[in-house]
Amino acid sequence: MQVKKTNFTVNATPRFSVLTEDEIEQIYFSALSVLYETGVRVYDQEGVDVAHAGGAIVEDTTEDSSLVKIPPWMVDKALSTLPRKVVVIGPDRKHRMELFKDQVYFGAGSDTPFTIDPKSGERRRATYEDVKNFARLAQALPNIDFHMSLGIVQDRAVGTYDRWQYLAMLEGTTKPINITAVDLDGLNDQLEMAYIRLGGKEEWRKGPIFSLYIEPVSPLSHSEEVIQKLLFSADNEIPFVYTPCPLAGATSPTTLAGTAVQALTESLFGIVLAQIRKPGAPMIIGGLMSNMDMQTTVYCYGSPEMALLSAAYTEITKWLGVPMYETAGCSDSKMFDAQAAMEATINIATAALVGGNMIHDVGYLEQGLTSSPELMVAANEIIDMVKRILRGIPTTDADLALPVMDSVGPGGHFLEHDHTYKRFKHEIWQPQLIDRQNFESWEMSGSKTFKDRVHERVLEILEAEHEPLMEDKMFAEIKRICELADERHKDEELDLDMFGPG
Amino acid sequence: MSETLSKLSTAVIEGDLEVMEDLTSQALDEGKEAQEVLNEGLMPGMDHVGVEFKAGNMFVPEVLRSARAMQASMSILRPLLTESGVELAGKVLLGTVKGDLHDIGKNLVAMMCEGAGFEVKDLGKDVEPDVFVEGVRDFGPDVLGMSALLTTTMRAMEHTIKSIEEAGLRDQVKILIGGAPVTQSFADQIGADGYASNAASAADLAKKLISA
Repeated sequence: MQVKKTNFTVNATPRFSVLTEDEIEQIYFSALSVLYETGVRVYDQEGVDVAHAGGAIVEDTTEDSSLVKIPPWMVDKALSTLPRKVVVIGPDRKHRMELFKDQVYFGAGSDTPFTIDPKSGERRRATYEDVKNFARLAQALPNIDFHMSLGIVQDRAVGTYDRWQYLAMLEGTTKPINITAVDLDGLNDQLEMAYIRLGGKEEWRKGPIFSLYIEPVSPLSHSEEVIQKLLFSADNEIPFVYTPCPLAGATSPTTLAGTAVQALTESLFGIVLAQIRKPGAPMIIGGLMSNMDMQTTVYCYGSPEMALLSAAYTEITKWLGVPMYETAGCSDSKMFDAQAAMEATINIATAALVGGNMIHDVGYLEQGLTSSPELMVAANEIIDMVKRILRGIPTTDADLALPVMDSVGPGGHFLEHDHTYKRFKHEIWQPQLIDRQNFESWEMSGSKTFKDRVHERVLEILEAEHEPLMEDKMFAEIKRICELADERHKDEELDLDMFGPG
Repeated sequence: MSETLSKLSTAVIEGDLEVMEDLTSQALDEGKEAQEVLNEGLMPGMDHVGVEFKAGNMFVPEVLRSARAMQASMSILRPLLTESGVELAGKVLLGTVKGDLHDIGKNLVAMMCEGAGFEVKDLGKDVEPDVFVEGVRDFGPDVLGMSALLTTTMRAMEHTIKSIEEAGLRDQVKILIGGAPVTQSFADQIGADGYASNAASAADLAKKLISA
């Protein structure tokens, strides 16, 4: 017999926490000090002017930049107009992300020079076809909620690969996309492409189908390209991710708290500038903070510090009421192996359990230089597993099941009970790729390793028949924008080595 | 195929216990023979369940629900089948061996065998070799299935087989063993006729041993 309860529901989702509220406040108020006293360097005159008009102190102006100092009141003012919720909806108007506190979404990373060939397993430069294939994987995998270009298109013309990447993604998925842009021209083209895909600017205003990735440079620097993208996005109602990528010990203090303070300072400047330009401009701040490996000097994507910093930053953004750009599903391994699965599992679990919003970089290997279809498919299963943990253990009378135990009694079994039949599918997580057969059955079914099964699933998705997601006419119209861009850029040489030595 | 029989198949697949008895009576009222109801109504349903289960699309509680649905129909059909002298799939005697109280695996085998159409008698758990011997003598099973979860109780399987041999009953019954620590080589070593690594394959193997 259960004691009568009051009308009270407990949040049953498990919580992982790395900072107390006092610690969050310390980090936030420290960031305000850095913003006011140390300042940030802005390499764009328009950006400096906007900040100055909004109340910033501008000094130490050189030929190409100024030091901009933001008094705390400007941050308060900016936060008062910053949307606490940002929505991005796919062109099918079904797949959507509603980014606010504790809403967990996973998606790919972007712009890797290399990819692992889904058939041969060879590491090579990414092509249009690869980017399209990754989008098709994203479309097929239920735990991938948004997508990014898992590869730089390197078989198309110069300096226009961003448009081709977007086209390839539109061909493969109707989920929300987080785009990158080579420059303002590239951003403008992609916005035009989105308008065509959606049927006009008014449709865009009802729910944008992409957000833009913008990355200020650590420490405390905001380039012309970054500021121009920010202002353009604010003007055109494009939600954007403003995410510095500080490297603890190299481009930020080696202490994780110091790195968090610096990253927050960098993001807060973006918030202030965007809100002065257009109060209400939708933003997501992040999100990729890690340490430099002190032996190899690489940027770690699989380190515990990355997971820990992302978790801490999520808690800070929840306290601030700003949607968060998290990082997980990635690894420093060179191929999809035990290390990749282990690192991805740790950072996926951490990101989800802390309640990160827009969790990107699923499918990244080799410090973000290579994309892996296998890691993406495996991550889908890892995320599924973690989502089961997120559902927790409800303790209603029906869950506690006393009458069920009473009816079965000592020594009986529950396999045939209605309670089992009705609830087992919801209660007990069923893997798709993880193997739980006993040895004999496993041997009978071909003695396949997890890697074998993941590989088969990748090919199964890619080899399945696909209905085109766009009508021919629409596709041609969107593609025309890419071709016109190629025409404008045809005389520029593209040095592929700028993406990394092949 | 008759609409009623096809409804019976669907009801077995969906584990729809409520409608089984009515549908079975209806099929008989329509003039179908009991064997026809079994072979063209129930068995196609169970076969489908078996295929879906092996493919990973159906799960144990659902298979058991289907088996129960089939049993509900069989309670009407069995007397009629016996009357007309039809051979049923066969009889299976089961038990967890002496010293072992683990019986969930053995219970699963029982339910799977029932689903496959066997008449099943379950001796329970912690069963003495003598009780198995009596069971073989009195029930006359085609197959005896023994289960053990513990490495310490596996040996009781060997003792039980010896007792059955000593009672002169060994050639009347096929002996199947199973349980987490049990292997094919252990089965060979103690002179069992077969080993199954899970409940579904135990039912399959029982069928195979009988038809062999």
